[in-house]
Amino acid sequence: MDFQALWLTLRLAIGTTAILLVVALPLAWWIASGRSVGRALVQAVVALPLVLPPTVLGFYLLIMMGPLTAPGRLLIRIFGHPLAFSFTGLLIGSVLYSLPFAVQPLVAGFGAIDRGYVEAAEGLGASPWRTFWSVVLPMTRVSVLTSAVLTFTHTVGEFGVVLMLGGNIPGATRTLSISLYDLVQDGDYQAADSTALLLLVFSMAALLTIYLLPSVRRAEGRQADVAR
Amino acid sequence: MSPDSLLTVEMKHRLGAASVDVQFALTEPWTVLFGPSGSGKTTVLRTIAGFVRPDSGRIARRDQVLFDSATGVSLPAHQRPVRSAAQAARLFPHRTVRWNTMYGNGWNSKPADASEIVEESLRLFRLTAMADRMPRELSGGERQRGSVARAVVSAVTYDGPGKPFLLLDEPFSGLDNAMRDELLPELQAWLLQWKIPVLSVTHDVGEAFQLGAEVIKLAVGRVVRQGPVGEVLGEERLRLMEQLRLEQLNRSN
Repeated sequence: MDFQALWLTLRLAIGTTAILLVVALPLAWWIASGRSVGRALVQAVVALPLVLPPTVLGFYLLIMMGPLTAPGRLLIRIFGHPLAFSFTGLLIGSVLYSLPFAVQPLVAGFGAIDRGYVEAAEGLGASPWRTFWSVVLPMTRVSVLTSAVLTFTHTVGEFGVVLMLGGNIPGATRTLSISLYDLVQDGDYQAADSTALLLLVFSMAALLTIYLLPSVRRAEGRQADVAR
Repeated sequence: MSPDSLLTVEMKHRLGAASVDVQFALTEPWTVLFGPSGSGKTTVLRTIAGFVRPDSGRIARRDQVLFDSATGVSLPAHQRPVRSAAQAARLFPHRTVRWNTMYGNGWNSKPADASEIVEESLRLFRLTAMADRMPRELSGGERQRGSVARAVVSAVTYDGPGKPFLLLDEPFSGLDNAMRDELLPELQAWLLQWKIPVLSVTHDVGEAFQLGAEVIKLAVGRVVRQGPVGEVLGEERLRLMEQLRLEQLNRSN
């Protein structure tokens, strides 16, 4: 088992989840409550990583971060080194790649909120910002949790983007899934087996967490109450 | 329109085949919008509250303009000097009744006597015993009372300049007659004491008489008549009493 890869994978997943929660909450709220024309375009762009081969995303990011493009040169100037084949570059790739997994549960959760609750809050003088934090978010905390767990697990399981963008540098870009690929290439099936099992058990446990948490079940009961 | 009116409303709004086209000024502490369902009562209330943007018109609270299609002014709902409760009670399901009642309490200033006002409002709406329960544990009528109690607290503890207009859509439909008889005069006296003017919606003749309020009678999106309840709803009262008399006759036969 490659513990350095395990630690790196966890750092990447935690960083990605933290960044995506901050980005996805306002984005999902805007998508769920907006009526502007730009909404469809934004939704399509957000969903793109779902259908795009990860290698395509990885390829474009690789080019964008390299010295061949203006944004790439700017990034090199800011960070002092090319972002490709670095942890920061990998983090940017992960954020983009997991974006739909963070945004879509939130859009579904926000969309399911009865507009009447939002109007009730505004009719009592609450600003949209306050309404979001004190009413919308607490009522959709199950969606927020789902979004976080899916983002985390999806990042742990990412392969194509990492390979294109990060290569295979121990301690910087070699994640568990890359390490597994390496082990198989080297014919070390025993180590590969334990790595694969760890990823499988972890993913299963994360999904079970979503479905078993008492708050999820309570929330389902509450939605039934509201419907009645 | 007279300059001393508390609220002036002029609005035109189309909703599919139906349309609302009304003009009125409010001068009394409590005014009732009366009319059958589909007459546009709720649309008028939601337009004043800021949830419906009318096709054209002008809405002003004394000299503060809330909406004016001519100048393009439209204050967002939360910035209007109004507090509202919709017909469907929407108590926030993740918090207790007391927290809900406290919710709209002076957003910036948090008046010191707020919790007293909350308790008073809970008592008034007969909710003290269930103040620490979650909304899902309440009956439909109790939730409705909670929703009105919450709006009343929000109006009383309003921290803007002046007093807000309280907009209530069918506020007493969650009350049985006995409770309504008790509660209405108390609430009316309380709001009068705090100088909070009210515009409420009802289709109940008895309720309008009980409030002894100014009445604006609506039909198919137009104002039919405005005036003291005895003048505007005299006909409806006679019809109601005739109906009661017939029912009594039927029963005694």
